[in-house]
Amino acid sequence: MHSSQLLWVQTMAVAHRLLLEQWRQKRGLIFWAVFPSTMMLLFGLVYAHNDSMRAGLDAAAAGILVGAALFFSCLGGTVAVIAAERERGTLPRLLTTPLHPAAYFLGVVIAQLLLALMQVVMLYSIAFSIGVQYRGSLFLGGLILLLSVFSYVGMGFFLGARFARRSEEVVVALSAIGVPLLVLGGTFFPLEIMPQGMQAFAQITPMLHMNQAFKGVAAYGMGWNELRFELSFLLVFCGLSLALGIQSYRHLLHVDKSQ
Amino acid sequence: MTAALEINDVHKWFGSHHVLDGFSLRIESGEVVGLLGPNGCGKSTVLNIVSKLLPYDSGQVRLMGKPLNELSYRARELVGVCTQHCALYPDLFPAENLHFFARLYGLSEKERHERVAELMRLFELGNFAKTRVGQLSGGWRQRLHLAVSLIHRPKLLVLDEPTAAVDLEARMDLWRLIEGLRDSGTTILLTSHHLAEAQRLCSRVALMRNGKVLAVGSVPELLARMPGQAVAKVQSEDSEAVVQRALGLGWQVRQHADQMRLLLPQLLSLREIVDALEGTKVSAVSVLPVTLDDVYLELMGDDLTPPSTI
Repeated sequence: MHSSQLLWVQTMAVAHRLLLEQWRQKRGLIFWAVFPSTMMLLFGLVYAHNDSMRAGLDAAAAGILVGAALFFSCLGGTVAVIAAERERGTLPRLLTTPLHPAAYFLGVVIAQLLLALMQVVMLYSIAFSIGVQYRGSLFLGGLILLLSVFSYVGMGFFLGARFARRSEEVVVALSAIGVPLLVLGGTFFPLEIMPQGMQAFAQITPMLHMNQAFKGVAAYGMGWNELRFELSFLLVFCGLSLALGIQSYRHLLHVDKSQ
Repeated sequence: MTAALEINDVHKWFGSHHVLDGFSLRIESGEVVGLLGPNGCGKSTVLNIVSKLLPYDSGQVRLMGKPLNELSYRARELVGVCTQHCALYPDLFPAENLHFFARLYGLSEKERHERVAELMRLFELGNFAKTRVGQLSGGWRQRLHLAVSLIHRPKLLVLDEPTAAVDLEARMDLWRLIEGLRDSGTTILLTSHHLAEAQRLCSRVALMRNGKVLAVGSVPELLARMPGQAVAKVQSEDSEAVVQRALGLGWQVRQHADQMRLLLPQLLSLREIVDALEGTKVSAVSVLPVTLDDVYLELMGDDLTPPSTI
């Protein structure tokens, strides 16, 4: 088999295996679905209760998707995949096969993309049913989600390879690092209600720019020009995140080979 | 004829620790060669080098006649690896694990389905087709692990203490499977702590210590190096008297840990030994023909714990 063909077959094998494992872990799958759905319903109830806030419902749906659902699903999911490979000893096993590191990386990305797509469908189905509107370009929104997923997977590889040695650590690390980032990123509250110092600090968190970019398209119908800064930030962050993720994964392979 | 594996004067350091010190070994196609030695002697390092998991610092390794360090990562297609730790996916069924690894090796769909069905049959995994791997017993998981390592029909099968983590019954089952592979012409390099395992499975055995091979040969060849054909293990309140009597009879004496072993020129009955040692306060005596355990102890010296026997 030609090398490029083998790379594709291996990539799909990794993605298929991850999705199959996810499917078999029924309880995990239920929590995976319940979390964003509940968030969306709760926010819907709060916003519907206050007429003055109803206009913010569209932005809330976008924030929950990018800031919360994809964060836990793609970043948390990737960290959990790496931790599980280490815990089960399957990583050294994979190293004895001709699995190309890029195929593994891409396999994880594809699996997370498919899971993200399901999150989008699920969350927006609920959102549309309670009156949320999507106002902007579907293509631009899709691109922002794609860059967000790549960024989260890159960060997931970085955190998983460098820090998470056991599955239990994943939950703790995500809660400790992730939840403050979600708050700062404007997932739950608008940036404007935060103190000045917090707003300034929030500007350096990638989550804020992901949120603002997707909210801009989905809730306010903004286009390329209006989101130029957010898109540039997201593009650079995505590149950095992937580079860091790949470098961390290589480091992990080196460490596991030496053990 | 091209050897399946040829390792010449290989050195490997981990920091200042010289793990392999001029290690050399040649394995012909169809041979089963066992690497035996105490913990830390470098057995696993050899296997990791052959599996392309570790680079070596100097020397030469040729796999199927080609220098290993010139082969790409795809050279891993030539080797199948099975370790004592079952590294499989617990939420998948046995066949799903096999399919996953088959795809990593690039088997075509038709070939993959045929091979998975063949291995499921060969390893008698059919009864567990709908059981998640995480719910299998240790022995069945190790069976599947061995099957996974054969999924791509490797030219060389590397087994790193394949029966170390399973019970006696499962070990016997695995031995039968490995014997089947041996009889079908599979080239195997295995490490083991069980000398009986090596004696039963291997066509040749290499005894290692401190990163080098001390002796290599078939089991009968290694047994022939012993200065005796039988070993009597003796307990006595007066060890010195036993030693003097044994030496007087032309028997050689070995002391390993607290155990006195007399190397007899031929297999004698217990009665003959007791009579020969009369008056030396012998309290217990046993006698057996020499085994690989004895060769191992003879070559390794007195200062180590022998690997276990079953």
